[in-house]
Amino acid sequence: MATSSSVDVASDQPAVRLRQVRKRYGGTLALKGIDLDISAGSIHALIGENGAGKSTCLGAIAGRVQTDEGVISIFGHEVGDTSPRRTRALGVVSVYQELTTIPGLSAQANVFLGQPRSRWGWLRDAAMRARYVELCRDLKVACFADTPAGALSVGDQQLLEIMRALVADARIILLDEPTASLAPHERRVLLDLMRRLRDRGVTVVFVSHNLDEVLEVSDTVTVFRDGAVVRQDRASEVTKRVVVEAMLGRKLSEATTHHHPRPGSGPTRLRVEGLSVPRALTDISFELRAGEILGLGGLVGSGRTSVLRALAGATPSASGELWINSAGVRWPRSPRRARALGIALLPEDRKTQGVNLARSGAENIVMSDLGAVARAGFLTTRDITAAAERAATGFGINAAALSKPAGTLSGGNQQKLLLARWAHSLPTVLLADEPTRGIDVGAKQEILAHLEHLAAQGMSIIIASSELEEVVQISHRILVLAEGRVVGLLDNSERTVAEHDVLRTIFESDREGHGDEHVATG
Amino acid sequence: MSTSQPVETTGPPGATEAETLTPVLPTGSHRLSGVLGVRGLFRYGIVWAAVVAVIAASLLSGSFLTTSNIQNVLTQNAALALVALGLTFVMIGGGFDLSSGPLVGACSVVAAELANHTSTMVAVVVTIVVGALAGAVNGIVVTAFRINAFVATLATGSMFTGLALLYTGSHSVFVTNSSFNNLGLGSVLGVRTIVVLVAALYLIGALVLAKSVFGRALYAVGGGEVAARLAGLRVNLTKALTFVIVGAAGGAGGVIFAALLTSGTPSTGSSITFDAITVVIIGGTSMFGGSGAVWRTAVGLVLLATITNVYDLLAINSAWQLVTKGFLLVAAVGLDYLTSRKRA
Repeated sequence: MATSSSVDVASDQPAVRLRQVRKRYGGTLALKGIDLDISAGSIHALIGENGAGKSTCLGAIAGRVQTDEGVISIFGHEVGDTSPRRTRALGVVSVYQELTTIPGLSAQANVFLGQPRSRWGWLRDAAMRARYVELCRDLKVACFADTPAGALSVGDQQLLEIMRALVADARIILLDEPTASLAPHERRVLLDLMRRLRDRGVTVVFVSHNLDEVLEVSDTVTVFRDGAVVRQDRASEVTKRVVVEAMLGRKLSEATTHHHPRPGSGPTRLRVEGLSVPRALTDISFELRAGEILGLGGLVGSGRTSVLRALAGATPSASGELWINSAGVRWPRSPRRARALGIALLPEDRKTQGVNLARSGAENIVMSDLGAVARAGFLTTRDITAAAERAATGFGINAAALSKPAGTLSGGNQQKLLLARWAHSLPTVLLADEPTRGIDVGAKQEILAHLEHLAAQGMSIIIASSELEEVVQISHRILVLAEGRVVGLLDNSERTVAEHDVLRTIFESDREGHGDEHVATG
Repeated sequence: MSTSQPVETTGPPGATEAETLTPVLPTGSHRLSGVLGVRGLFRYGIVWAAVVAVIAASLLSGSFLTTSNIQNVLTQNAALALVALGLTFVMIGGGFDLSSGPLVGACSVVAAELANHTSTMVAVVVTIVVGALAGAVNGIVVTAFRINAFVATLATGSMFTGLALLYTGSHSVFVTNSSFNNLGLGSVLGVRTIVVLVAALYLIGALVLAKSVFGRALYAVGGGEVAARLAGLRVNLTKALTFVIVGAAGGAGGVIFAALLTSGTPSTGSSITFDAITVVIIGGTSMFGGSGAVWRTAVGLVLLATITNVYDLLAINSAWQLVTKGFLLVAAVGLDYLTSRKRA
């Protein structure tokens, strides 16, 4: 069945062609003369570390980024002065990293946002409904025409954006980190959808940090480093290792994280008995020794984040018994109370809950304990800087970053600031929620190593991450959760646990215990 | 490729083989709980409040539910009604307007002058155009210069009043044109023309918001400016247009006051800024943009007009009106904050 968005393309004509494209931001060349062909009807991944130029390149194709030099052609049409309007007319549509759905509008209204079917300025609801339902059928997805977009899951909202692109007769769809905020099962659906779009003749270009996905779904992989294309391969012909090394520009050293003995003899810092949160957690118990890293393993919705939030005092309805350094304390019902108990949170959402983007790196570090820096209640820039530099030692934060507003730093550097913040005030227990989300490959390992470093100094750490690989890599023990219950506790002191051991624990618990349809849902 | 099932609009077609990411809510029960449940109380609470106020008012004062009283209340509030209608558009688009009261005052002077020196028709049309132009100034300042709407309209409002005072030398301009002074006092099927006109404009406003491309764009702009821009909507133009609408409404308000009071005075309608905001917000249109409706403003108007009228009829010290209105506004804003937080 031919729809308006499946297009017959001459096979020799690339969908996108870049020739010697340059882009300069201030003093840095973001793109150093890129040559790139993206063949029509394929899935093409652009990968690289943050700042490597892949997103700039995507922006240039979208017409959102004004290039300084070079030629961009879309289906053979040279795009002179690129503008979103011009490229859109040629069938290029972007789906942005941050969602661009309007929560208060219905799903259908969101799909037709900016391109309503209308006559004389009045909406033609019936025509829009028919097209919407047709699209849902083509894509084999459920319809939520009248549900407000805000009530849909992130994955469904993203789906609306893709439908929006199809309504706009997109021939090339650009996706920026499409799976970054999706749960595992939603990722699967999206990857399938990308394949289906390709099969309809749509060219899909995407940027992703998740190399497993990249290698699984794409036809061609282009690797960027320092503003240049360093490799282009058919995805079926490369390994993850080759790609990572191309991204980093160096051989991957085996162990970036160091030796790993479980501090078996250290004193017990934290003991949790019978932690429950209505509708989220049931009877969670565990303990944590000084210098130990406890990983929380589980799928989305298993209660990982709920455990951290409850400990951080962010869940007033939490109940349970808590011992800190063997002294029984009341369960913290506010973040302030949790901090007083020595529990600190490295939040999942750095930008809104972690760093103060407007203040300097140094201030961000000492913010957690200004009293330690103040003299008779007064703060001086010199004292702040000195204390911040002390705390920042070993985190690879350079002096310039300390004096600049945190908002100007990369995600990896912001996370390092937050780690330095807790090195400054030294909490008893550090809760790390998704510590490497949105951080590029190179910096990821650094962040994990810093966490281990903090643990080696005696801090107890609980880490929750949707990337099981990380949890397995740095945890001494792994508490496996499913549906808000503990289903296993795996000893990883010899680094013997693999990802599939955690998954098996989850699925076995599921077979023995409760129904089967809940596990995969968030 | 696609299934051959009949098209259903209420449920997902082919839900069994479709990849459902989240469970589909049955629409029917959803709607029912919407009216009766806790959420319904939030959503339609204003209607009950207005009904209670009208019933209480008719019990408290025998003269409340008389035809002449109702005609008078509606006529007195016609200018406020128009400004509140315009402000509904502004606030759904995520804007705000503190200059509407001053604009009404300034436009009453413009209307009075024009009525004295030209014809009634010219006075009406030109004053509304002047109001719309003043609104366009607000719109440009807020969108093109990116100045916060509160500050921008506070500033322009001060300028409108100042210019009017300079022009009149702080006096009133009396209208000698009797055809102008009788504007809107005729009747259509027993209802005053001005009331019919306002009602018609409310109907048109409701249709535009719900059914037009502009209305849909406005909800999108108010609901998420960045998202709307990325979707290719003309965000600035849409927002600026809402200020033109409220400006035109202010111009019309100036005409109404000049005709009713047979004079134009810069300070006329100074309470309209506050009252219009109160009416829109207690109706349930969100201060944060993206949600609201014309019927809400109409109901808010009924509530506020009823309360002030009862206070007048019972000869309660008018200072109490200020206290009551202030209380209503802060309560409504608090409720708006709570509900929008719940949604987020």
